[in-house]
Amino acid sequence: MSTKDKERIELLQGTLDLLILRTLLPGPAHGHAIAKTIEFNSADVLQVEQGSLYPALHRLIRRGWISSEEGTSENNRRAKFYRLTAKGRRQLTVETSKWEKLAEAIARILRPAEQE
Amino acid sequence: MMADLDRDIQDHIEIETQDNIGRGMSPEEARYAAIRTFGNATKIKHQTYEVWSVAWVERLLQDVRFGVRTLWKNPGYAIAAILTLALGIGANTAMFSVVRGVLLAPLPFHQPERLVIIGESRPNLNLKELDVSYPDFQDWQRDAHSFEQMATLTWSSYDLTGSGTPQHIDGMQVSAGFFATLDVPMAVGRDFSRSEDQPQGAQNVIISNRLWKDRFRATPQVLGQYLKLDGADYTIIGVLPPGFRYLTEADVYTPLAVSNPKLCGDRTFRGIVSIARLKPGISIAQAQGELSTVQAQLDNLYPAADRNLGIYIDSLKHDFVGDTAGMLFMLLGAVIMVLLIACANVANLLFARAAAREREFAVRSALGASRMRVVRQLLTESVLLALTGGLIGLGIAKLALVVVLGGIRDSLPRGENVGLDWTVLLFAFGVSLAVGILFGLAPAMKSTSKTVFGSLKAGGRGSTRAHLRSQGIFVIVQMGLTLVLLTGCSLLLRTVRELRNVNPGFEAKNVVTFKVGLSPSMSRTEIDVQAAFQQLVDRIRQLPGVEAVDVAVGLSLPLSERDHSGSFWVGAQEPASMQDAPHALLFWTGPDYLRTMRIPLLRGRFFTPADTLKSERVIAIDDDLAHTYFPGKDPVGQTINVAWQNFGPARIIGVVGHVKNWGLNDPGTDNPSQIYISVYQLQNLVVPDLAKYLTIVVRTPLDTAAVIPAIKNVVYGAAEDQTVYRVRTMQEGVSATMSSQRLAMVLLAAFAGLGLLVASIGFYGVISYSVTQRVQEIGVRVALGAKPRDVLRLVLGQGLRLAIAGLIIGAVAVFLLGRSLPSFSQLLYGIKATDPLTLLTASGLLLGVAIVACYVPARRALKIDPIVALRYD
Repeated sequence: MSTKDKERIELLQGTLDLLILRTLLPGPAHGHAIAKTIEFNSADVLQVEQGSLYPALHRLIRRGWISSEEGTSENNRRAKFYRLTAKGRRQLTVETSKWEKLAEAIARILRPAEQE
Repeated sequence: MMADLDRDIQDHIEIETQDNIGRGMSPEEARYAAIRTFGNATKIKHQTYEVWSVAWVERLLQDVRFGVRTLWKNPGYAIAAILTLALGIGANTAMFSVVRGVLLAPLPFHQPERLVIIGESRPNLNLKELDVSYPDFQDWQRDAHSFEQMATLTWSSYDLTGSGTPQHIDGMQVSAGFFATLDVPMAVGRDFSRSEDQPQGAQNVIISNRLWKDRFRATPQVLGQYLKLDGADYTIIGVLPPGFRYLTEADVYTPLAVSNPKLCGDRTFRGIVSIARLKPGISIAQAQGELSTVQAQLDNLYPAADRNLGIYIDSLKHDFVGDTAGMLFMLLGAVIMVLLIACANVANLLFARAAAREREFAVRSALGASRMRVVRQLLTESVLLALTGGLIGLGIAKLALVVVLGGIRDSLPRGENVGLDWTVLLFAFGVSLAVGILFGLAPAMKSTSKTVFGSLKAGGRGSTRAHLRSQGIFVIVQMGLTLVLLTGCSLLLRTVRELRNVNPGFEAKNVVTFKVGLSPSMSRTEIDVQAAFQQLVDRIRQLPGVEAVDVAVGLSLPLSERDHSGSFWVGAQEPASMQDAPHALLFWTGPDYLRTMRIPLLRGRFFTPADTLKSERVIAIDDDLAHTYFPGKDPVGQTINVAWQNFGPARIIGVVGHVKNWGLNDPGTDNPSQIYISVYQLQNLVVPDLAKYLTIVVRTPLDTAAVIPAIKNVVYGAAEDQTVYRVRTMQEGVSATMSSQRLAMVLLAAFAGLGLLVASIGFYGVISYSVTQRVQEIGVRVALGAKPRDVLRLVLGQGLRLAIAGLIIGAVAVFLLGRSLPSFSQLLYGIKATDPLTLLTASGLLLGVAIVACYVPARRALKIDPIVALRYD
């Protein structure tokens, strides 16, 4: 395994859901594209085991935050596309603000430690 | 969605493959890389599947199917576990059904929580009595506002003659509002009306449903027909619904005022019980307060009868069953201990099994099963075992209720209510579920811990140490609980033995008692009754084998009789109120009574046939009365004024020994004074029928079965339609006073025996298992020169250590419980709950059992051949 892999951080279940929602904000995408986008946009820090995407996608479908449809990929291959629903769009805002608050709080705790 | 998943995954991998080819890999490499990057497709599919989660039901079914298969393949261990659990759950279910039937189930009347019983108390003497007087009751009815309905009642019995076989039946005399208070509708006909319930009212009767079916074949034309009770005709005006009962299964109910006219006019005679239904929203405390105010006015209006009388009100249910609550809950606690012992056994079994299945768990983990999943699987298995055990346990409970409790049911109030109803079934199910989960948890968690999984390489032995430790803990707990049960049981055994040795003041052996129903055609005036009984007694005295015989009233043994007490005073000064005067227990007897009961005569003489209505009134007193009121003097010749029933002044002719009237554990504090009055000097009694009160007491060395036929001949010889009933030996009566202790003793003995059996099997199992696990170790020791004695010490040492640790814990528990459990200490007599000798004996027994249980495994350990052992893996 390359050193690059060691820096990759394991992704928590709920966080993955949030990232997927965000990734779909610009528009619908298929599973493979979503995985690649997350990797790319995080500068390869976030490792997404591609398969673990699918339980997450189904969770989001079950909650009604995304919907699915058949489509064709860039290479003219068959693929299932996922798209954000109105409900999902609202949820994205909620979850994002929750995440930002969490990150802020953790950062605040970690900062004094750095000063010592 | 799910149907597409396979395809979606394939599509995804396809796209990644293409990407990889674009990066320069060969098609084969590209595909492999894509598959690897994707991850474990099977696991992914399962996880996705679980998202759509009716999956938990599927999983449960899967677990159940797998569990059943596993258990089927190992029937030995499954059967052992199931049987152990069945015993524990069965015993608990049986005990719970008793608690439910007697204590928890509400009374079978409409809104039973509003039903109360009203008694008169004497607060200055700290006495609570249930009996009230009729005139007081009438005044309450008029003046009190807290009650919707009030009623009074008393018990009686009648000779039923006429068409059909003559019988002696139980009955009740009730006021007009009785059935209305209980809110019981008639099945046929109507209730008594207020106007009918007067001293000169019509002789109507309401009969039980059972009597209606037996004697009248349930004909709707029963109304207006007659019943001949004690020779008088009563018109049937109503039939009760089936299953109605108020404490007893009385067959006939007559109006109280009609049956007891003298009682209704006498404010000083307290011989009836009063019940009432509270108005909605009124509490017992409020009602008691209000009625006390009413009673205070009566105290002022009628000082001779009522001064210083108070009121106390109790819920009807508590009156029915209150005394037994403590004992029953204690027994429930004991049977729960048995269940814990059984569960500990099963847990240890599961530990042993789990050790053998380590490989299976490790492989499942490697295949992706989370720890929780495996634990869930194991829990499903243990719950399956428990539920099966519970089912069989229900059968055992039913058997127990029929066989064991059948004999004891009569000594429990509301015993007829005990049975397997749906709450009991629910309880059994709940307990099985709880047991399965609680006791499967420890083995399940312990056998799936991380250290276990790491042990796949080590030949699967790593967990044994941890398992043995856990098993050891369970065994120690078992030993402790068993000790508690054994000690409790021995204490009760000692108590019963002590009680049997108590001298009650008379000799109960070889005494038979019975009552006689006089011929209905006979006159019931006191004189005629006295003459009839005197004749009977004289004739019975002539029978061979009869040493002594006479009549008596006032015995509380047998306990079906109520005792009679009355006030008296010594000296010339009559006390201002009868409530302030001293009270004594009254016995109305014939002259031969003393000899029949072998009560010692301490001074003077007892009654003779010369003491009649025409001669001077005489009484005999007991030595307690003599010491209290005539200290240092000879009471014989002195006069005492007996206020009861206006008996008047009477000369003391003798002093007799005190008897324990309420049972062998009667401390005698309630009514230390006892007065004997000759039956043949009674007249103008307030009681309606003297004959009903008289019991004939016979001393004979012959067996009851041998002497009763002769006695019956005498009775029938006097008149054909007379009856002999309530035949009981004095011994039975005495035993009846110990019925709580005996019930507790029998049940506790059963529980202790069960616990001991299960615990010793478990103990044996654990030691045996331990030896099997340590075969290698022992082999090594022997090979290194250990003697058989050392091996023995190893095995026995382990066993003894466990046993002694358990005994210590048990002893501590006994001390704590002994101090803090009044419901148990109350049952004891002559011995303290923390009696050290009993504890030591029980410990010794348990230790002995433990050593015996070690015997077979120890022998096996001795036989271990080191060469074989070292090769054994």
